[in-house]
Amino acid sequence: MAPTVTPPGTYAGVANVLAVLVLLSEFAMLRAALLRAQMRLYAAQSLLVSVLAAVVAWGRDVPELYVLAALSLALKVVVVPWVVMRQLRQTRTEIAGSGVLGVASEVLVAVVVAVLAFFATSRFHIASPALPTTALGLAVAVIAVSFVLMIVRRDVVSQAVGFFSLENGVSLASLVVAAGLPLILEVAFLFDLLVAVVVFGVLMRVHHRRARSLSTEHLTKLRG
Amino acid sequence: MVPEPLIQALQMLTVLCAAPGISGVIARVEARLQGRRGPRILQPYYDLRKLFAKETLVPHGTSWVFLAAPVGAMACYLTVPMLIPVLTSFDLPLGDMGDILGGGMILGLASFLVAVAATETGAPYAQLGASRVKTFGAITEPVMLFVFFTVALVTGTDKPYALAATVRASSEQIVRPAHLLAAAGLLLVILYETGRIPVETHSGTNEFGMLEEVRVFEHSGPFLALLRWGSTMKQLILYILFINVFVAPWGLAGDRSLLAVALAILALLGKSCVLGGVVAVIDNTFAKLRLFKITEFVAAAFLLAVLAVCTLYFGGG
Repeated sequence: MAPTVTPPGTYAGVANVLAVLVLLSEFAMLRAALLRAQMRLYAAQSLLVSVLAAVVAWGRDVPELYVLAALSLALKVVVVPWVVMRQLRQTRTEIAGSGVLGVASEVLVAVVVAVLAFFATSRFHIASPALPTTALGLAVAVIAVSFVLMIVRRDVVSQAVGFFSLENGVSLASLVVAAGLPLILEVAFLFDLLVAVVVFGVLMRVHHRRARSLSTEHLTKLRG
Repeated sequence: MVPEPLIQALQMLTVLCAAPGISGVIARVEARLQGRRGPRILQPYYDLRKLFAKETLVPHGTSWVFLAAPVGAMACYLTVPMLIPVLTSFDLPLGDMGDILGGGMILGLASFLVAVAATETGAPYAQLGASRVKTFGAITEPVMLFVFFTVALVTGTDKPYALAATVRASSEQIVRPAHLLAAAGLLLVILYETGRIPVETHSGTNEFGMLEEVRVFEHSGPFLALLRWGSTMKQLILYILFINVFVAPWGLAGDRSLLAVALAILALLGKSCVLGGVVAVIDNTFAKLRLFKITEFVAAAFLLAVLAVCTLYFGGG
């Protein structure tokens, strides 16, 4: 009997697997209880995005993506995690603030949100020359789940990691819809991320000095 | 040429005879990983022989159900190997009796019979075990359903033989994310169903680490032997489902020659031992969870299975 959904081909399959792994690492961040583990997962996710960029560069012959892959490798896999880890070492906090929900409920909520993202993007009917459409759905799902991560976790580091991984989702989406996006724009995005790292670093430091913890539960007053 | 009914019978016999041995291999690997010497690989067979030689004791006030359940469960475990590709890559005559859902239902029936026998005894401990197994079994059902949906979307049928053939057909099929996600989800369910992670300890007698084991506490003698044998068969059946349908459907007999069938039996044993070793490594690498953390574990499996269907449904993953 003929298969109902024909296999997408080896290149698309590999690309999709990488995109799925990006989404899974987002879910793993949602579950991770240790701040260090979250940061490591972020580094792994960034690595996957870089590898995917390199795969697209190789498979679809877009050489400027190699530059992007190398830049994001240097910045998001090495520099950002290193900076945040250093901050964490100074604050001596290891365990992330507990989520508002239990782990299982968090995952189920995130699954619902991710499926919504899939439904929404499937309506667009975007056909991309660089990557299969599934990758776009996965990218939007990554963005949606990182919002869940920022909403349900109650500590500064998780929220920062959520924000950084949001950027990973955006670069994944840009690989699908605009693989040939001018390099200068991509670089601008990456420096945007650097600014965010600085801002979150200051936030972590100030908040830790005032509240002696990284939890945002103490932020109940408008003025300290 | 081996006649088809004989191959059919050989499928059942292979599972029946090899199942305790696979458990022995896993126990041995596990012991090695923990720095112990471990029991002989044939130890499960000696245990069964010992139990078959013992007398049968029946608790007061139990009806015939108590003794019928182990036999019924064994019959169920003997039926399932007819429905899945154990030795051959081509359909056998009785392979059309039931699809992948039918096989799942027969496995569920076996577990139900054992649970009924446990509640029949009136012993609180056995009843507690039965109710726990049924409760937590219910939350793995959705995962299995989504895995079956994936199979249905990929092959257009729900025949295990069809999926195995599709996987063999092309390399595109192996790297597509839906297939990998469904296989990973199924592996998690198998780890759970065979009592590896997240909570059960396999060899200890710590009551929180026992879900399956406590159900058979009131049984003795040959009937206990049947139940033990049945649970090893269930393990091997699930392994075969994972190996021969999802991950490595190679090495099956392509025709009815004696050599091909014999090689298929050897390949099956080898693959099951490898998978058993992998399972033992996984089992010993992760810490056991508290009982009520089972939902977290199942939520992860559910996530994988749902993503498998999503990638297929929205974009042909």
